Amino acid sequence: MTDIVETIVNCDGVSVFYGENRAINNISIDIGKQSITAFIGPSGCGKSTFLRTINRMNDTIEGCRIEGRVTVDGQDIYDASVDVVPLRAKVGMVFQKPNPFPKTIYENVAYGPRIHGLARNKSQLDDIVEKALTGAGLWAEVRDRLQDSGTSLSGGQQQRLCIARTIAVEPQIILMDEPCSALDPIATSKIEALMSELSNEYTIIIVTHSMQQAARVSQKTAYFHLGNLIEYGDTKEIFVRPKDPQTEAYISGKIG
Amino acid sequence: MPLTKTEQIVNASLKARRKKERAFQLFGIAAIALALFFLVTLMGSILSKGIPGFFQYYITLEIELDRERLDPLGDLSEQSLFDGQAKKIIEEVVLEKTGAKSRNGRKAARKLLSNGSDTRLTSFVRANPSLLNSTQKVKFALDDDADSYFRGFVKKETPEQQRRLSNIQIEYLDKMNEDGLISHEISDYLFFGSASRNAEMAGIKGAAIGSVLTLLVCFVIAFPIGVATAVYLEEFAPKNKITEIIEININNLAAVPSVVFGILGLAIFINLFGLPRSIPLVGGMVLALMTLPTIIISSRAAIKSVPPSIRDGALGVGASKVQATMHHVVPLAIPGMLTGTIIGMAQALGETAPLLMIGMVAFIVDIPGSVTEPGTVLPVQIFMWADFAERMFVQKTSSAIIILLLFLILMNGGAIWLRKKLERRW
Repeated sequence: MTDIVETIVNCDGVSVFYGENRAINNISIDIGKQSITAFIGPSGCGKSTFLRTINRMNDTIEGCRIEGRVTVDGQDIYDASVDVVPLRAKVGMVFQKPNPFPKTIYENVAYGPRIHGLARNKSQLDDIVEKALTGAGLWAEVRDRLQDSGTSLSGGQQQRLCIARTIAVEPQIILMDEPCSALDPIATSKIEALMSELSNEYTIIIVTHSMQQAARVSQKTAYFHLGNLIEYGDTKEIFVRPKDPQTEAYISGKIG
Repeated sequence: MPLTKTEQIVNASLKARRKKERAFQLFGIAAIALALFFLVTLMGSILSKGIPGFFQYYITLEIELDRERLDPLGDLSEQSLFDGQAKKIIEEVVLEKTGAKSRNGRKAARKLLSNGSDTRLTSFVRANPSLLNSTQKVKFALDDDADSYFRGFVKKETPEQQRRLSNIQIEYLDKMNEDGLISHEISDYLFFGSASRNAEMAGIKGAAIGSVLTLLVCFVIAFPIGVATAVYLEEFAPKNKITEIIEININNLAAVPSVVFGILGLAIFINLFGLPRSIPLVGGMVLALMTLPTIIISSRAAIKSVPPSIRDGALGVGASKVQATMHHVVPLAIPGMLTGTIIGMAQALGETAPLLMIGMVAFIVDIPGSVTEPGTVLPVQIFMWADFAERMFVQKTSSAIIILLLFLILMNGGAIWLRKKLERRW
């Protein structure tokens, strides 16, 4: 069992409510630095909701309430003193459907650094954009067309552009909410290769429907069912020797 | 192959279904045909009356521009030209051309030219001082009764007592026409004249400028307030009973009769704040009240149509709520907002009732130079002209309606163009 070298996200007794509905039930989990953690489980099991508590994206949902404690880098992110702006700069997010801004490729990537004031001048900004696009494996494809609209790219390229947009602000954690579900297998394999590369620098938490994907890319896997965390452990262990019968039923295709 | 049971049943019902379909189609075609018929009738009526209204009859006279008589003070000032004998000079020429000798004849001949002829001559002199002391051909408008004669509204066959022109006047007009002095041309008074009781001199310039000023005020007030309200309600306001009530009320306001806004404007802007009557500033404010619901509703629809994924994308890289809204949502919603605004403004352009309430129906000859000078607007001008009895006003009313419609088409065309130009896809 590969132990967690250093914990970056710690959740302690987290419950999420939508109005009266309890979507997440008392989950405690530690997520290690510079690793890939996959959240798997059937639809509606609360894995995306749980992912969105880590950068407080649930705040935008009316009537959403959170109990318990979530710390990132030892800091309680639901503390009254915490501003979501620096939190989200630290915990970036890539969404299910590629959602580039309807602006140029350059502007898409430059947006984050610009609002946070990360570049002092144009050439610094250019460097950041190039670095981020290179990091997302997109630079070679778009270097000559930075002024084209981000929406003119293919689906897979758009998703990599969104990853570039996220890493341009140099977060510590990247949350990925089913990043490949709208992509074809070739684009998916590119993103997966990219994830492995990015995990050298960033902590990645990915929600996925594809168990093969979880098995391919992640070191740790958490299985969710009906708002509960059923099993969490090394990916190899979970797929080969699941401890919980529910997990076994899911990964062997009996429920889902 | 024998038909299955289902096929037999379906085939039996086919005829009835087709019949229903055809009836439905016919009904739709009939409705469209009826609408087209009314549209064509309306346009035909307006165009057939309005196009002749763009023209009027002029008489060209050779005038000796004697400086001594026209400009007694010699400085071309308003006072000097007013003291001069412009009217008398024109009359002398008219008497000569008509050959009127008797007292009655001279009196009749003088009435053939527009009342504004002397003003026309003095402005001609003011514009061309170098032509003084020479003889020049100058064009004057005919009086509206004389004009109506050439249009065929006043007929020779009518007994003299029943028409507005006497036999001798008709004789003079015919004589001058035979001499080639009368011409039928595009009316400069219609486009460059202002309100006037003399039909031949009445024009829309004052009203058109009043309309532009009023709409300007309306836009400057309604657009920012409307957009800010829409953005706040859509993006920031908590969803509770209070905002719900506000929303319902805004939607209801869009259906309030416009005259009610006029009364509101009268009560608040004029009676309470003490602003003057009849000024475009107050008119614009009243129209802004009326336009606001339209702008708010269309702006909210435009904001709603921006996909939430764009907001998520911005929030996901750490933009604040305001940044996500201002950098992404509002720019993407702007085309829709502008379209709604232009449609609201076009509505305001055609509005009469609320402006009557705040006194923009006053008879104002001067062209407003700013939003605080009394003025009127195009639809109110049309409303006033429609009330006047002279035949020429009937045509001018239709001409003004055509101009108003052209304004509206222009604005709606602008809205379509803007939407096409700014439209973005995602």
